[in-house]
Amino acid sequence: MNLKRTNVPLIRSESTVASMMRDALFALVLLLVLPVVRYGFRPAVMAVVTGAVCAVSEVLFNLIRKLNRGLSDCSPMVTGFIIALMMPVNAPLWLPCTAGLFAILVAKGPFGSTGRNPFNPAAAGIAFVTVCWPSLVFSYCDPELVRNLPLFADCSVPTAVSPDAVLKSGLKPQILPFDMLWGDFPGPVGTTAVLVVAACGLYLFLKRTARWEITAFFLAAAAFIAAFFPRIACSAMTSVKYELLSGSLLFCSVFLVTDPVTAPHTTAGRCMYGAFAGAMVMVFRRYGAYQQGAVFAVLIANALAPLMDDLVFRARGWGSELREI
Amino acid sequence: MLEQHREESLKYPIQTVPAPEGFPRPKYFAPPKGKPGTEAILQAAEAAGIVDEFDGVPLSQKLKRMRRLKINTVLACCADEDPYISGAAAVLRENPDAVISGLLLAARACGAKENKIVVETKREAKEIRRKNPNAELIVSGTRYPARALLKRKLQAAGKKTAYVGAQACIALAQALDDGKMQSETVITVAGDAVETPSNLRVRIGVPLQTLFDFCGVSDRARAVYIGSSIAGKMVTDLSTPVTADTRCVIATLRVPKRKVYSCVGCGRCSRACPRGIVPWRILREVGLEKPDPLRMLNAQKCIRCASCSLVCPSGIDLAGAVSKAAAIRKSGDFD
Repeated sequence: MNLKRTNVPLIRSESTVASMMRDALFALVLLLVLPVVRYGFRPAVMAVVTGAVCAVSEVLFNLIRKLNRGLSDCSPMVTGFIIALMMPVNAPLWLPCTAGLFAILVAKGPFGSTGRNPFNPAAAGIAFVTVCWPSLVFSYCDPELVRNLPLFADCSVPTAVSPDAVLKSGLKPQILPFDMLWGDFPGPVGTTAVLVVAACGLYLFLKRTARWEITAFFLAAAAFIAAFFPRIACSAMTSVKYELLSGSLLFCSVFLVTDPVTAPHTTAGRCMYGAFAGAMVMVFRRYGAYQQGAVFAVLIANALAPLMDDLVFRARGWGSELREI
Repeated sequence: MLEQHREESLKYPIQTVPAPEGFPRPKYFAPPKGKPGTEAILQAAEAAGIVDEFDGVPLSQKLKRMRRLKINTVLACCADEDPYISGAAAVLRENPDAVISGLLLAARACGAKENKIVVETKREAKEIRRKNPNAELIVSGTRYPARALLKRKLQAAGKKTAYVGAQACIALAQALDDGKMQSETVITVAGDAVETPSNLRVRIGVPLQTLFDFCGVSDRARAVYIGSSIAGKMVTDLSTPVTADTRCVIATLRVPKRKVYSCVGCGRCSRACPRGIVPWRILREVGLEKPDPLRMLNAQKCIRCASCSLVCPSGIDLAGAVSKAAAIRKSGDFD
């Protein structure tokens, strides 16, 4: 009998980082279904190409830094998919790819890759292209007029004003509630189908891949501000409806802020973080230069996340009796 | 909830493995006469050399400590809390009366008013009640670590509890009845390399090889765990003797492998810990050049159940980090 010795216990939980990332990837693929039906395969091509660019740049970075890390955790693909889903469908293909390169090579790799990045790489990548090419990032094609888009080529299509741009200019968007739920309005390709985003969120919470408290506090803070400080002249409920359902807010609340690496690790810290990010989104929407500020809010909240954890520990006095946290 | 593997080993009653030739016979001492008092029970536990099978602590020490802490509920642990082990449940099924009499003696020794037998499932409780309708049972559930979680629950209800292993209870009863020293233990032999997983009663000190010969273990076995499938240790030498706290021998055909990622901060370890430790924070602190022991929250409270390592999606050895932190705190070797 040739017996070996390792320090691995016989039983481990089945949920691993790789399986968590696969869950997220699955949810993101689900989000692609409606855009593919609506615009042809261009959104899928965009997502796959961006995912591939992220994966390749991650591998190259690891090779240059001589790190022995594979792609088994799928996290660069998740980053790529999130970036592609937050771009308009008519954006040139190089735009999400640039965002992906920035995300992996600047926001993630230098800090030590998955688990050590202080900022959400996808949010950083999108913020980068938003600042550099705002006109491309915010020109949305009109879903009424556009059907089949070319798979790879750049395309010039009739554009339309998205509801968050209408809100920014202080008017009430003219969209039927039903269209709003199914995402039949101009906006980033994967973020408009509110019902699908909510279903994906539910899936991730039930699989315990994402923590629900961040999303809950994020949405609650955003809804609170929308209700009491509406940007447009309408009732509180209408304001909440348009603010939460337009643009990428809901998508960010499910896929960006819940990233466990960049969020605080204590439950109390997570609640604080969610509420802070939600409030920041509304501040950026009201005073920011762009119609969409969710990624910037996420980045600022990321920077404060370790501080929030320390605050929780300090409030508890480090060594005192601890229970559930 | 972990996948359970004990059906097979619980199917048959405990089998006795004959002692190898030339193995010394069990020893006896003169038991106290009449109804034993507190001191007599403690002396008997010491004389019989009884060791608790769950934590490996001598029973006399344990009872003294329980008396000092003014424990008011003694729990006889017949819940194995491990998906491979069924030894304690089998012992209780075999002889509930002996467990109860041992438990009563332990409760008397530490001055506890209440005593209960911990079983894992309601089904098990029903089975035991059929054999002994007077048994006072409490169900712990199968969520790992069941012992620590039940203790926490009872503590929240204002009870001061302590566990005594089922086999230690029986050994205590035997020591006071016939003056028999603890000389045997029940061990679960399981794993996918074992032909007939079963519970074996063996003499303490017998090499593991004897158990393997008795149960038929495949030659292709590559990894052997003793103690527990979660918090146990691996052995490579089959001449290792069986001790009172061996509890199980698990032989598997494959050496378990695990990819280790860096911590993603999911916080599952701190939610899994039954003692309120924050393992991810300790891991970070231990990794520093100058760890600050004041920031190793509650590391000294660790009971080594390894729940944190079990749930970690990154496959990090958090239990190791916590025990390292506890060692740093204990050593006082810091500025």
